[in-house]
Amino acid sequence: MKIILKIFGILAAVYAALFAVFYYDLDGKFIYYIFEPMMVRRYDNMKREDTLKTPYDMKEDVMKEE
Amino acid sequence: MKDLKHIIEFEDLLQEAYNAYVRRGKEDGLRALGYTCYFMPEVLLDLPGCFSVRLRAPRSGSPDIATYYMSNRTCLYGRCLLERALEGGFNFLDAQMATETCTVTCRFQEHLQLMDIIQNPDFFCEFTDVPFKKNENSIDHYEKQLKAHVLDKLEEHFGIDTSDEALLKAIEEHNEVCRLIREIGSYRKLDHPTITGTEFSIIQLVTQVCPKYLIIDQLREIAEDLKTREPDDKPAYKCRVVLTGSEEDDPYFVQLIEECGALVVADRHCYGSIPGREEIVVGENETPLRAIARHYLETSMCPRFMEQHTMRERKKFLADVAREYKADGIVICQMKFCEYWSYERTIDTLIMPRDFGIPVCSIEKEYVNNAVGQLRTRFQAFVESLEFKKIQGGASK
Amino acid sequence: MKISKKAKMVRDKMKELFVVEKPENEEKGKRDIKKIARDFWYGKPHEERRLGDLYIGDTGLYKHREWRGFVDTMYYFNMIWLYNYGHMVMDIMKFGGGPVKGVVNFSKGLMRYRWMGQTYLTVMHWFDRGLEGMRGPILRGSAWHYRGMVCETIRQFQEMFASDKKLHGGRESEQWKHNIAHNETVSGSIFYGFHDVLEDIPLEMIPYFVTCHVNNHTVLNYIDAAQSIGLPSDPCPMCQAEYGIFVLDDYPDFAPTMITSNEACDGSVATSVIQDWFLNRPLFAMPQPMRYDDPLVQEHCQREIEECWKFIEQQYGVPFNWEMYCKYAEEQNKLTAFEHEKWDVAANTPYYPINGVAQALYRIYYSQDGNRPIWHEIDAHVRKIMNHTVKNKIVTLPKTRHRVIAWSCAPLYYSSWCTWAYNCWGLNCVINMDSLMFDQFLRTDTYEHALEDLSWYNEKAPMRAMAVGGHEHILSLWDYMERFNCDMVVMYDQLQCKGMQGIHGVFEDEFRKRNIHAIWVPHALPDKRTVSRKEIRKIISDYMITVMREEPLDPTLVDFEDDSSW
Repeated sequence: MKIILKIFGILAAVYAALFAVFYYDLDGKFIYYIFEPMMVRRYDNMKREDTLKTPYDMKEDVMKEE
Repeated sequence: MKDLKHIIEFEDLLQEAYNAYVRRGKEDGLRALGYTCYFMPEVLLDLPGCFSVRLRAPRSGSPDIATYYMSNRTCLYGRCLLERALEGGFNFLDAQMATETCTVTCRFQEHLQLMDIIQNPDFFCEFTDVPFKKNENSIDHYEKQLKAHVLDKLEEHFGIDTSDEALLKAIEEHNEVCRLIREIGSYRKLDHPTITGTEFSIIQLVTQVCPKYLIIDQLREIAEDLKTREPDDKPAYKCRVVLTGSEEDDPYFVQLIEECGALVVADRHCYGSIPGREEIVVGENETPLRAIARHYLETSMCPRFMEQHTMRERKKFLADVAREYKADGIVICQMKFCEYWSYERTIDTLIMPRDFGIPVCSIEKEYVNNAVGQLRTRFQAFVESLEFKKIQGGASK
Repeated sequence: MKISKKAKMVRDKMKELFVVEKPENEEKGKRDIKKIARDFWYGKPHEERRLGDLYIGDTGLYKHREWRGFVDTMYYFNMIWLYNYGHMVMDIMKFGGGPVKGVVNFSKGLMRYRWMGQTYLTVMHWFDRGLEGMRGPILRGSAWHYRGMVCETIRQFQEMFASDKKLHGGRESEQWKHNIAHNETVSGSIFYGFHDVLEDIPLEMIPYFVTCHVNNHTVLNYIDAAQSIGLPSDPCPMCQAEYGIFVLDDYPDFAPTMITSNEACDGSVATSVIQDWFLNRPLFAMPQPMRYDDPLVQEHCQREIEECWKFIEQQYGVPFNWEMYCKYAEEQNKLTAFEHEKWDVAANTPYYPINGVAQALYRIYYSQDGNRPIWHEIDAHVRKIMNHTVKNKIVTLPKTRHRVIAWSCAPLYYSSWCTWAYNCWGLNCVINMDSLMFDQFLRTDTYEHALEDLSWYNEKAPMRAMAVGGHEHILSLWDYMERFNCDMVVMYDQLQCKGMQGIHGVFEDEFRKRNIHAIWVPHALPDKRTVSRKEIRKIISDYMITVMREEPLDPTLVDFEDDSSW
């Protein structure tokens, strides 16, 4: 019984905490102020392939009868 | 070089859509059929009883009313055509043979349908669907469309003879014009060309905007004249260029390029002759209409074509034209707000120098040529760069 | 006690982030307990909500989420927020091929692709924007639509990540060999005959289209990249972004072939020139005829579809399966049938439980994407809600002053404008143009009929259904206004759409002639920089104030900043 109550208490606390996150838009604030700027910095500094170097060879008609 | 025969007369004809020869054609009882696009086969509109008029709006100013209807964020060519129509400049047309090939000219032609603009009780505007590929399915489709929306309509409205015999005759006459234009144009391939790009542009345009039976004699004379025309001892140009791009119906633009020292030796653009003046060949067991449909699809280099190999072949075609005409560079000229050529120009500007070693001058311009100073600067810089390249190339040898 | 400077800063920041300022005119002192209790249970009446006070500066974030009354707030928390977060995790695992594999691939994709990491984690705010002010059945119905789109988005990117060569050391996995990449504007219905064997995944739907709605900043990188290699700025920014992804090397390489289309416009055709270059693999173009009303074009269109199937057969060694096609086409017909029921309710009653943004986005998403199990699941939920509202005559948007039809292509970066418009001005956007496309059942009695209908279906794709093939299509607005009992038009004015710009004046003339209240809303599709959300609101508000002479329902929503918001 005590264990059940303890589990119930923990779940209730988690539920309340999640509600607080929801109600005070903490998920949005976290993503906006912390996560997104961090990721944008990462993408801006990522080494990327120069796609302008992609070759431009002549192609056969893909529907040509063999 | 001494003046080419008939060139001044031809230049005069280009000052108005309803020029003297169009007027004569109408007086001779022929039907004037307007069109805007290569995908509307000119040869069909030149059947006995009618003549084709590829629409231009020369000496356009500010198309204020057309801008109300089509906003200022659409191609000025389409707007100027609408403005000219609203001004009454196209009232001579008996029909507009329309295609939904590019959005803006399509909208212009839809305005002709929606609003009572052309003051001609016989006028009608008929749309033809044009495929995006060159395969058999597309040729079949195109043939059906031309039959239903061009030939049948001409017969229904104007009693035009659209029989195979009439088509063959039209093809024969069309081919003669093509042969003459190609012959005239071939002088641009010479090491010392005996015709300028401006002159050629005037001649080519006249064949598109006037009844051909009224200019055929002049064309023959010009071709004859060129056989003996001598180039200048000291050529005025410093390099040779191909002009490619979207709609271009202003010979003074070509003149502007040539005044900057670049001879325009090939016209690979809408309203140009490459492609545009190849002879139509009617194959064995092929109807004339089928041959026409096949011809206009197979010869066209319009950026509207979507098949992968066709898209890629366009670049090679352009490079081949540059080599054939011994061009030092390519001027890619896009009409502002032209969607197709925005992308085609972007890729050509990157691929032509990188893969084919051909320098490119990439510009955007308006139909009404206001930025002459800026364009002149660009062309002069391009010419200088080509000269420099030649010098460097000579020095390294 | 003297408060240190730092503590003051923290206090001010906390105030900015969490404290809603009380309105100046609110009476101090005596509190009406009964009212407080009523507001707690039922939520504040519409005119007292002051939703604009909840925003933090121009971020679009909330000091706190709306209190919609106890029941609706609990519903939102449990059945929208928690439910969707939970299901997103489950979907990532389910569609990623297992818990570990799914999470690993997801993480790799998140770290590699800007459109993933910058956009999709903000998804619950996308819900928030679309569902602001919604209560009761319309909150529930609209949220289900959003849920469907989220699920399908996850499925698609997990499929991409699982087979993406760039995430797996350049390896061409078995899955890679069974994927078909296609333009987002190629309808999923084309691939029904291969559905269970091959996976068709639109290339730009997730990296581009959906990102514009969820986080309108991401796409700006791709537009700028497109212009950085020389493209002028005037072509349609959708097409620019579609290849800008390639310029920035931000496209997933998940399939050996590509299928393109001319849908919706010249720009789509032109973009494929550059996409082809960067993809550099077998590409099949499947254009539809422009003059699609012409009976003569149908056979051509049908042949094109067959050629596409032939291409797939040749490239993948998988034959077209007629039974499979019939199975999925018939499933899709159920979706179309239910859509008609929804239109019926929307047109003829005030009981429609879907708001404007949910209607528009869900419709375009599922009809373009093709049949998937999630759509049927969502429709089942919505059907239940709609039956309830119709049976019990529940007016879902009780503050409706005007029934609006939205015409032309919508601003992707502000698809939730209609939620704002209802909350602020009582404008109920009942239907939009792009919802009305793909209006075609697919017969399966014979192969010929099937092909005929599939051809029609694809010709009536988004935008092109109305914008091409003759002016009578785009001018069918009047008929739809009558059909949906609308008294106002919001005329989207996509500044870079040549097709719509080319007929602008005719609409002006017709609105005047027919004495129709029409608000022109300029925009640049995904690019918020040309016309901001704030400018769009100002245009609508100005019209409502000066022409309609109405007072706003919620004055706090008339003028606020949101430049930096998602």
